[in-house]
Amino acid sequence: MSFADAAAVMPPRPRARRDSFTLWITGSAWLSASLAGLILLTLAVQSAPAIRQAGGTMLSVQWLPSAGQYGIIPMVFGSLVVMAIAMTIALPVGVMAAVQLSQIKSLKTRRFVKALLEGLAGIPSIVYGLIGVSFLSVFVADIFDLQTGRVIFTAGLLLSVMILPTILTLSEDAISAVPNALTQNAAALGLYRFEIFRSAVLPSAAPHILGAGLLALGRALGETMAVMLIIGSLDRLPSPLWNVLSSGQTITSKLGREVGESAFGSVHFSALIFSALILVIITLSLTIAAQILFARRAKTIGLLHV
Amino acid sequence: MKKITVFIAAALTLTACSPPEGVRVSGSSTVLPVVSKAADSYSAASGQTVIVNAGGSGAGFSQLAQGLTDIGMMSRDMTASERAQYPDVNITAIAIGRDAVVPVVSSEIYDAGVTTLSPAQIADIYRGTIQNWSALGGPDRDILVIDKEASRGTRHVFMQVIMGEKEPKAGGADLVLGSNNEEQTALVQSDSAIGMLSVAWLNDDIKGLTLDMGTAKIKPDLDVVRAGQYPISRNLNIVVRDDISPAAQSFVDFLRSPDGQAFAQDAGYIRIAP
Repeated sequence: MSFADAAAVMPPRPRARRDSFTLWITGSAWLSASLAGLILLTLAVQSAPAIRQAGGTMLSVQWLPSAGQYGIIPMVFGSLVVMAIAMTIALPVGVMAAVQLSQIKSLKTRRFVKALLEGLAGIPSIVYGLIGVSFLSVFVADIFDLQTGRVIFTAGLLLSVMILPTILTLSEDAISAVPNALTQNAAALGLYRFEIFRSAVLPSAAPHILGAGLLALGRALGETMAVMLIIGSLDRLPSPLWNVLSSGQTITSKLGREVGESAFGSVHFSALIFSALILVIITLSLTIAAQILFARRAKTIGLLHV
Repeated sequence: MKKITVFIAAALTLTACSPPEGVRVSGSSTVLPVVSKAADSYSAASGQTVIVNAGGSGAGFSQLAQGLTDIGMMSRDMTASERAQYPDVNITAIAIGRDAVVPVVSSEIYDAGVTTLSPAQIADIYRGTIQNWSALGGPDRDILVIDKEASRGTRHVFMQVIMGEKEPKAGGADLVLGSNNEEQTALVQSDSAIGMLSVAWLNDDIKGLTLDMGTAKIKPDLDVVRAGQYPISRNLNIVVRDDISPAAQSFVDFLRSPDGQAFAQDAGYIRIAP
């Protein structure tokens, strides 16, 4: 019997055949998915003692474990402000640089600059932190005539450098990935170069650039080591609130400094885990927002090609 | 049959992966210099691996209690609540040296004339009621108040004498740092800072203040500390469990031997045995 005959008489392949390979891939997929769920579940379970005993008082501004006070607001505030500063600096710089690289520079320059930036992304965060402690914080203190440069602003500044590669390379990818047909059509309509970019390239790349920004934002929220060394680790809201030239604390820097010191199972430990849960929820919502944006982009491209 | 072979192979591989018989030590960065130097010398002489990590007294205790380490380093006493967390584990503290915690200021402040403060004045600085050096006879400059993480041994000992409790709130703090190392860097970088350091960490850029105790003014000299006359002093402890391994026990014995005690003295602390 020839191969063709055999194929002809074989029954149609069942949709979910449980051969070992299928099992392997489905298993991997479920494992990865359940890990995310498991982390959330663990955090929720570990937060329970704090929620039960400290409850609503955790939404205050006073953190003093020896007195049973576990207010996490200064940390949440610090995390959000540091992230906002980093994004305000890095997003325009990164996107503008990406536009320049993709639209004006040659492929060779583009590859060279991107390789350099990806190298920047590979530097361990502790190295950034040490640079921050020994140089950046000293500069900031000098420029603003501060007593100490270990302030919220310095942390944001350092973070902006750390997330710049993510924003730049992903935005550049997004702009370069805009189909040639689109730019050519626009050129055929007699548009100038800038007009082509503004009305044809940018709208198509925009959701992807936003996605890049969200990814960078996630990194900014999660960064621990570098921030921990230069933010001053003061569990207090700045006064006035917008004074970013005062010391502060982020959720991650708090965790980095205190988790090792708190006894496992204590309310103190549980309160720290609760702040971690808040951080994960913030990061997760941002990731989901990024997913939705990506999905919308795919739809737009599909429409354009019809 | 084939399955059995695979299981045996896996079992053998996993056994080979079990951790080496090293003595694991972690905890206070104040005790660390003594233990890590002693560990180097001890390892070279005996061939026994000793791994020493920092992390603070609190971490030293909780890691030991959880069985993650063999020996914890603590620059303060265990607290009642720490013991209560692990009722099933019996932990003993063993002194391997003595130390003084000294209020320190940036050299610029010291040279400008602020060389002696009373505990009450220091307490006011940490509470935030005194905010400028001019109030204390120094230059007209805001005070950079450097505090330490609440569970740090150095802070417990310092605050007990200065503010009367181990973990007080310090509303005047501008920075909260961790190890002696980190605190030392911040003090050197500033020209108007006050902080607390173990006597072994003082140098030309960081000057220890003389304490005005009312009846006497006490300088943070090693002789004074050695004679037991410095008001803010403490034992440097290592803590061990009842079920300590023989390898760890012999390292503990080494730390308390004359050879081991020499390392306490070299690190700038005071020996507890001759």
